[in-house]
Amino acid sequence: MKKEHIQHLYWRAGFGIDPKALQSLLNKNREDIVDMLFSESKSFNPLKINTPEFDTLTYKEFNKTNKIHRAYIEKSKLKVKELNHAWIHRVSNSKETLREKMTLFWANHFVCQDRYILYIQKFNNTLRYHALGNFKDFLKDISKEPSMIDYLDLKQNKKGRPNENFARELLELFTLGVGNYSEDDIKEIAKAFTGYNYDFEGDFEFRENQHNNDFKYVFGKAGHYDGDDIIDIILEQKQCARFICTKLYRYFVNTTINKTHIEDMTNVFFPNYNIETVLRYMFTQDWFYSPEHIGNKIKSPIDLIAGISHTVPVTFKETEQILGIQGMLGQLLLYPPNVAGWKGGKSWIDSNTLMIRLKLPSVLLSNAKIETKEKGDFYDAYKKYYENRKGDSIIKASANWEVFKSNYQHVEIEELGNYLLQCPINSGVQDYLNRLSKKSKQEYCVQVMSLPEYQMC
Amino acid sequence: MNRRKFIKNSSLASSLFFVPSFVKAFSNLITSETSYKRLVIIQLSGGNDGLNTLIPFRDDNYYKSRPIIGLKKEDIINLDNELGLHPSLLPLKKLYDYGYLSIINNVGYPNPNRSHFRATDIWQTASDSNQYLQSGWIGRYLDNFNQKTTAAIDINQSLSLALKGEFQNGMAVKNPNLLFRTTQDPYLKNVAKHYEDSHLSEHNLGYLYKTMINTESSAKYIFETSKTTSSNIEYPKNTLSKQLKTTAQFINSGLNTRVYYASLDGFDTHVNQLNTHKRLLKAYAESIDAFVKDLKSKNTFKDTLILTFSEFGRRVKQNRGNGTDHGSANTLFIIGENLKTPGIYNKMGSLEDLDDNGDIKFEIDFRTIYATVLKKWLNVNDDVVLNESFNHLEFI
Repeated sequence: MKKEHIQHLYWRAGFGIDPKALQSLLNKNREDIVDMLFSESKSFNPLKINTPEFDTLTYKEFNKTNKIHRAYIEKSKLKVKELNHAWIHRVSNSKETLREKMTLFWANHFVCQDRYILYIQKFNNTLRYHALGNFKDFLKDISKEPSMIDYLDLKQNKKGRPNENFARELLELFTLGVGNYSEDDIKEIAKAFTGYNYDFEGDFEFRENQHNNDFKYVFGKAGHYDGDDIIDIILEQKQCARFICTKLYRYFVNTTINKTHIEDMTNVFFPNYNIETVLRYMFTQDWFYSPEHIGNKIKSPIDLIAGISHTVPVTFKETEQILGIQGMLGQLLLYPPNVAGWKGGKSWIDSNTLMIRLKLPSVLLSNAKIETKEKGDFYDAYKKYYENRKGDSIIKASANWEVFKSNYQHVEIEELGNYLLQCPINSGVQDYLNRLSKKSKQEYCVQVMSLPEYQMC
Repeated sequence: MNRRKFIKNSSLASSLFFVPSFVKAFSNLITSETSYKRLVIIQLSGGNDGLNTLIPFRDDNYYKSRPIIGLKKEDIINLDNELGLHPSLLPLKKLYDYGYLSIINNVGYPNPNRSHFRATDIWQTASDSNQYLQSGWIGRYLDNFNQKTTAAIDINQSLSLALKGEFQNGMAVKNPNLLFRTTQDPYLKNVAKHYEDSHLSEHNLGYLYKTMINTESSAKYIFETSKTTSSNIEYPKNTLSKQLKTTAQFINSGLNTRVYYASLDGFDTHVNQLNTHKRLLKAYAESIDAFVKDLKSKNTFKDTLILTFSEFGRRVKQNRGNGTDHGSANTLFIIGENLKTPGIYNKMGSLEDLDDNGDIKFEIDFRTIYATVLKKWLNVNDDVVLNESFNHLEFI
């Protein structure tokens, strides 16, 4: 497989690839490499943080008094931040890259937020567990997650007192998309999802006495359906497979959709809804490697952070800081903007987020400094700009350059861009880079990562 | 010798002192000729308790519903013998007396949502309660009527959804100096300078470069324009006041911005709300007071309209924690010099005839207020921005 194509695959299905790993793949064919990608993600390792104060907590203790309850909630909120930190660490270091990439995808599909750590951690691992599995099983499990039951008011959805929040999002955001159902469908589906609840441990509980056992009329069918039946019925529609494939295409290939390719994917995905199968199909198609797609995707903030870390491992010391960075970049994991999730693509970019993106590599790797020395240059604008700025970078992070040195050992300094970037450098900017003194590989790595081109993959 | 040194040493230096004031006089001229109307939007985040902000102190239902957190009659600032302001809002009473304040009651929308996030989205995108829009109403104003990034500024670290359009975003500027400095990074400046825009402008990468170059010039424009003015007005110490001070500096320096966005957080008063609410309203009122004074000192208040909203009001009945839970319809403040209907715009909704949740029923759709502001203040076609046609109200 060609170098550019391997890099493309690894940027889209993961967070990039270093020259050492790349070298070992060059004489393999596409099917073999895609096989490897899946076998690396075969195992499932749940993401868990230490939660001693919650592990043995009883419902009684949790709700002893208002004050105690509030104190637990505050503690729990801190734990959710810790989980965010652990998740960033996971995407930056995991060998199960495709599983993690898909976990991020599903986290923006089944959007959910919770301040209770054990529930949101469980939810997060349900995403990870099913990430490459079967969409039908996945959806049924998601509908029974305590965090989801809370987030979309399923608990309030009772016999005789329906709450349509979940039913609406199930159709609009999780399965069919706007315009493929009626308001009556929503009403009937809400009836079927009555009685959903969970116990304090977070295990699903079906409350028979709150369940509406009437006939439900959905998409031309009628029966005493419950929630799982409804999911089966929705998934009988090819539109559901098409909706998911469109989202996958936009995430992995291009935000401008190609109907023919999506229809081909839909035919592979439907009716079994096997996620691995459709991804494998997509990664092995010639069109996936078409030049128009390569290097034309704007990285998400998490892609950006994880990508830097895959090249030069970065360890954040303070949870608040890694949260702060995500916040400034506009993608704070576990805190989605709303139930529709992040829009992605160009909407990641505004004046502020772009400047922060461009400064991020230097902030993390070189104390916020980007060298500007040119060949044979004596006058140094750089020095002047920085002379009154001491301790500029307040981010407490450590960068492991040894890993970079080892992985990029055989790459000539002039060649670095070919490994760090996915799109060609603008010609004028290339001329400028040619003039830079390039005394150190590390310095030049930061310079390349600080280009707008590095925002693309 | 560098350029600055040259200017410093030059005999021309003395005459240069006249330039800024000349430039300023000139820009003031432009400003008044085009009568630059500005809109300042303030969000009280968390759901401000409207019923303890503007109090129907004659209504027994108020005290029945709020035996502990109900404000005492003698503390309330009487407005029209029916309604009165929270004691922290004394500065607003002055504005009210001058006819600079219009209070609109029962503002909301059908099928209200009581989640902070969702309700904030609804207000910021001007959507229906069950509709998900990914662009904000100010963003769509930029899309349709103004191509400049600096036309809408969020005085914040990150850009609110309200200022994000489909094609054009406003700008988030918390600290103009800091943003300017970031864009002055020598390496990034060199990169931007060497970019050759040949055929890539429709490409995503072209979009990034365009934004980068645009940000550099906008940050420079904001920094250099805003530093031409300074303020003698003393502001209280709180986050909103800081934002409004920056806003006043921007407005008074003649920046070409049409819409500013600021916010004050902490209004989610579920527990023991009396003190928290008192402190927050005080911060709000004192900040507004300083802000209006600052604008008046530079004669820019007449061209400024201030709209204050919160994503929802709170439950009429107090809860068991001596606080209030999420409600729906709420009171909204409009502040400006030339209001058509100063004072209390409409009667407060009944505390007896509540909705199923025990909240005040909504009467005025918030989008009619947006429509009015767009049409009558910013002079644009509101239908295009709101994707629907709403009635116009008579407050301006």
